[in-house]
Amino acid sequence: MSSHASGNGREPGAATDEFVQEWRNAAYNCYSSGHKFCREVCPVMQVERNESWTPTAFHANVVAMEQGELTLEEVAADYVNCTQCGACELRCPNTLFTGDFYRFRTRTVDLVKAVRGLAVDQGIHQPGYHRWNLLTDERRHEPVLGEADGGVPVDQAHVADWAAGLDLPTGGETILFVDCEAAFHRTSVPRAVAQILQHAGVPFGLMREQWCCGGPAAEMGYADQARRFARHNLDDWRATGVKRVIVLDPHDYITFTEDYPTLFGAEYDDIEIVLAIELFAGLIREGKLTPDVPVERAITYHDPCRLNKRKGIWREPREILRAIPGLDFRDVDRVTQWSYCSGAGAGLSVEKPELTAKISERRIEHAAELEIDALVSACPWSERPLAEAGAARQIDVVDLHELLAESLGIDVGAPAGEAHA
Amino acid sequence: MSLVAGGIDDRALEALAHVLGPDHLLTSRPARLHRARVPAPFPVHRWADHTPDAVVLPGSTEEVAEVVRIANRFGIPVVPRSGGTGLTDGAVPLRHGILLDLKRLDRIHELDLENRTCTVGAGMNMLKLNERLAAHGLIYPDDPASYPCSLVGGRIGTSGWSLIGSRYGHTRDLVLSFVHVLPSGEVVRFGDGGGPKVSKSSTGYTLKPLFMGHQGTLGVATEATLKLYPKPEAELSPFWAFEDYDSAHRAVRELVRADCATFAGAVLFDEAKVRYLRRDDEAYIPQPESVRALVCAVLYGNEDEVRPGGRRLMRIARENGARYLGDEISQGDWAARHDRYATPLHGRTKAGQVVPMSWHCEDAAINWPALPAVTGKWHEIVGELRRKSDVFDDWGVFAYTSARTGVDYLTEIDVGIWEQELDDAAWALWVEAKRDIAAVAVAHGGSISACHGACREGEVDLVPDELGGGYEVMRTLKRALDPNNVMNPGKYGLDGAFEEDLK
Repeated sequence: MSSHASGNGREPGAATDEFVQEWRNAAYNCYSSGHKFCREVCPVMQVERNESWTPTAFHANVVAMEQGELTLEEVAADYVNCTQCGACELRCPNTLFTGDFYRFRTRTVDLVKAVRGLAVDQGIHQPGYHRWNLLTDERRHEPVLGEADGGVPVDQAHVADWAAGLDLPTGGETILFVDCEAAFHRTSVPRAVAQILQHAGVPFGLMREQWCCGGPAAEMGYADQARRFARHNLDDWRATGVKRVIVLDPHDYITFTEDYPTLFGAEYDDIEIVLAIELFAGLIREGKLTPDVPVERAITYHDPCRLNKRKGIWREPREILRAIPGLDFRDVDRVTQWSYCSGAGAGLSVEKPELTAKISERRIEHAAELEIDALVSACPWSERPLAEAGAARQIDVVDLHELLAESLGIDVGAPAGEAHA
Repeated sequence: MSLVAGGIDDRALEALAHVLGPDHLLTSRPARLHRARVPAPFPVHRWADHTPDAVVLPGSTEEVAEVVRIANRFGIPVVPRSGGTGLTDGAVPLRHGILLDLKRLDRIHELDLENRTCTVGAGMNMLKLNERLAAHGLIYPDDPASYPCSLVGGRIGTSGWSLIGSRYGHTRDLVLSFVHVLPSGEVVRFGDGGGPKVSKSSTGYTLKPLFMGHQGTLGVATEATLKLYPKPEAELSPFWAFEDYDSAHRAVRELVRADCATFAGAVLFDEAKVRYLRRDDEAYIPQPESVRALVCAVLYGNEDEVRPGGRRLMRIARENGARYLGDEISQGDWAARHDRYATPLHGRTKAGQVVPMSWHCEDAAINWPALPAVTGKWHEIVGELRRKSDVFDDWGVFAYTSARTGVDYLTEIDVGIWEQELDDAAWALWVEAKRDIAAVAVAHGGSISACHGACREGEVDLVPDELGGGYEVMRTLKRALDPNNVMNPGKYGLDGAFEEDLK
């Protein structure tokens, strides 16, 4: 970690004071009650058991900064230990019992983003985040294929390689946005989504020049970069008359439904963001999609944090799974799954891959208790660490969209040049 | 001697690092500050007074024992902390030193379905344990308000109280035996007799209760063997309304005296509590103005036992002037009762201005006949506190049954505290009030604490009065078992046990 003066023209001390004043009451609401109901649902806490890496500590630091006991430099690295899954916010008594009436909720995710952003503004970088965001800035996409040979095709020329042979147009009122992990690594997921849309007769195209959504940069504290990427994408949508964006990745869904509206306000009002899972569940309900090829597997479903905990979307994935004939679906309720996570979110796997692996191993252990042969997820980012943990226990990790495609009789196929995945 | 981490010298740090490895010995300022407080009222402005010098996160009983041996060798205080959710500052360091954080001891070592026991590390949480036990139709029914976050080790160290203890017993009844590291670093097992799963023995001294509730002054439990019960197939949790406190107070006695075998507990809400809920707790389901006091009860067990028991309690409540509030509040509020630990985020100044306050609860064990007098005097004390300072607000009194005979009640007055505004003057007022609250309990033949412990500033002064000759025995035991006074020094006034040595 390095530290130098702020590059944004403000004195670091003044920016920190402003931050402390903004978060002071929220921090005391947590600190003074001090009850820590969040602790045992926190994916990092469950595997590390370190009280400094808990939502309670993240709030207490603000109180300590106000009291002059701690500085930003001293605490910045602790804030790496969060996947921004949102479980702590749901479990917080301050949210549970008074949130509706007082329009208050505990906002640990925003707090973590704010501290990370403040740190970056003041030149306090975490090495993994720093490198990741520099590469993303350079390539316009996250370096999801690693940097080993320097020649991996994470760049603009290859962002739509996944769609080879599918004959997808560019532009149109509706486009499909594919996140970096799915576009360059887990390419079978966007292939499945695209072909289900074609199967259902939903017209859609691809972006003219898609860049990373900017969400990961925002999550790691690189707010300016996030803003530039968002601006590019919105301008690209405008240039081709986009009205509706279909997303398959829960992380993109958060970025487009929370970050972009904050960044662009009214300018963004007429853009509709559609989650593929909700769209497909609706099409099944209306009889426009009928999965009829039996899939004879014993499965359970992993609620992606950003759907279940952040957005309250847990019915539709289950509707889809229950519509697939042949599945032996051993479900775990969504509230129990508040404690589950893959550990891949918010840059944790960038800075601390070993911690992501531990969290995924724990998630797979829960799945293994159900004696299933596959864990179905609906988040491309979760699927890599979960699959790695699953391999050790003979549990396949399958994407919900791919499973639906299979039951619709779609052969997802592999794009040309798949070998790098 | 260099002071790398507070006041611990390098040789001690090296010895600790050798035992724990670099990842589990923490000396950063944040790591130490995060383990300085518990949810009890805390003088925020004096945070640094309570910061440990180093934090250790041991992964086994042997590592805990090694840490304690090192502490003896170098004369360093050791403060055990598991959940850090206690309300008597047991886990708050008074002399800095080594903070022994037990959260990594969170494994289930054994699940014995034949004897219906399980053996877990002291860092295990009850909610997490019950998630695992559910697959076997079993529960571990230790049910404090901190159920989602407190840990088994802290339950032993504080001798915890359970909301449904009238049915299943409290921590002391539910923990069959435990592995304990003595202040010398020696590892022993305490239970009823020698067998780890025996629930009644007459062999030798009954040592198990002595090593519970000592707030870390007599060592630290690292692993516990727990009693499990079948998960009850039925639950009934009626809420009844009364027009005044006296009727509710009489009714709760009659409900307990009915002696239903499935009766798990009852809670009495006084008039100030209902006024406060009506004023400021929007999660509370609104009731007509005629509702001034409440009683809720809960029954757990087999359906064919809970149903007739429930009918009997409904009849008794009716005969005692109660109005049943219906199924919605019964189910909703009872479910919430397990979680009503933080309540609202705010209280009010005397002028009615909403300000951010946190909930603090002062508890005592009080016999049924004394409840009205104690409740009244406590409101006078908190009322006086409030007259002097807007930092404090009276949030009413609850009384919970502790035992199925109804002999005594965990009685608590809830006080809102505006911690942002705490300063030395307000803190001194608070400590004085705390002492007065404890004095009322003792004067009425009760006990300073039914569940938190009694080692905080203010209340702790009265412990010798309450225990009489028993307190001298405590001092004798402390000296004998912890001759170097390393285990949580300063707590319960036990430094006094070493005065003769100092002479």
